[in-house]
Amino acid sequence: MSGMRTLGYPAAMAVTVALLAETAVGAHHSFAAEFDETRPIKVTGKVIEMKWSNPHAWIYVDVAGDDGKTVKWGFETGGVNALYRRGWRKDDLPVGTVVVIDGWRARNGTSTANAFSITFPDGRRLFAGTSAPKADEK
Amino acid sequence: MSGGKSAARVLACAAAWTIFGAPQAHGQEGEGGGPARASSKAPAPIHRTADGRPDFSGLYAHGAGGANYGLERHEKTPLIPGGAGVVVDPPDGKLPMQPWARAEVESRGKPERGYDDPTAHCFPAGVPRELYVPQPIQIQQPPGYVLFLFERMSWRTVPLDGRSHIPDAIRLWQGDSVGRWEGDTLVIDTANFNGKTWLNQNGEMVSHAEHVVERLTPVDGDTIMYEATVTDPIVYTRPFTIRFPLRRQAGELLEVACHEDDVDLEHLKAIKDAAIAAGSVQR
Repeated sequence: MSGMRTLGYPAAMAVTVALLAETAVGAHHSFAAEFDETRPIKVTGKVIEMKWSNPHAWIYVDVAGDDGKTVKWGFETGGVNALYRRGWRKDDLPVGTVVVIDGWRARNGTSTANAFSITFPDGRRLFAGTSAPKADEK
Repeated sequence: MSGGKSAARVLACAAAWTIFGAPQAHGQEGEGGGPARASSKAPAPIHRTADGRPDFSGLYAHGAGGANYGLERHEKTPLIPGGAGVVVDPPDGKLPMQPWARAEVESRGKPERGYDDPTAHCFPAGVPRELYVPQPIQIQQPPGYVLFLFERMSWRTVPLDGRSHIPDAIRLWQGDSVGRWEGDTLVIDTANFNGKTWLNQNGEMVSHAEHVVERLTPVDGDTIMYEATVTDPIVYTRPFTIRFPLRRQAGELLEVACHEDDVDLEHLKAIKDAAIAAGSVQR
């Protein structure tokens, strides 16, 4: 890890788009069955928990609704092994971090979704390791 | 550690991963392993065991693209990785399914059937699917055996001592494998399947009549050409063959405790239950 940390932002940013173009990593079930690709979602929220578990990791965020009420959203990411191999660590999204997450809503109507990318307030974007090869083009 | 620093580290690591070991092509499924060992050097010579056979020992990632979402060529969608197709016989790249099987596969492709995929329940993927799910594969070669260790915490043992298959009444998720060498090619014959596995998330199918002959041929020290011929007269009108490379990767096998926090199955069951209630699918 230490050697990798010496890479600067420009190098990192140069490859982010390439990473965004990647596809499902670690799914043991059909994302297309569980989530609805006709229902994209994009929320801004505050990280409550990064659940580093199998078969998928989950990022839970508090999202303020239009009515002022806070709704807890859960975003599924790729498998933790895939995230680990991409450089993620389980403490990389500390509680309280404000993020914008986009993905696709679950078909069951709950406040859950399949995450595609995570964007920080300054515009930097992370690949969530799930699917959606064309999501960066939308 | 601040969020900003964390993010920088993630990006830097991602950059390194991409620079040192990028996937083969966009649109291909993540292959699960770490950086490739020798991306720009001359091909490594074929490794050999003391008895002169190819030594496949190591960690591999498949180059089967989106085969876990369809063995035939298929377009990508927002949630389904595309695939160039891995069927090399029949020459048209189409699976020679019986008409009833094609209808069943179409049914399995619907969201309400996602619950029925055995891997969603963490069952072994079976053969040949274990070779193209999106996790790396560890191959070991102790004397007299070839062992496949799959990161989803399943395995296959392939004895090379010329033994016969186990009795026909014994049926297994991974089948019963016996192997032999034909020159530098490892040939694995696998039978005794339970017929419950799916070939991928698209629901392409096999029955208990499935019989698989796999051929693993070294291309160089870091690449194996994998080929599997599937015979199943209940489902198919003729045998078919798939082919794709396995590429040696750095890193090591990790664990996937599939039941640890599996909320997906609950979601998929709710979707199926709603379809059952609506009469669009049978229990």
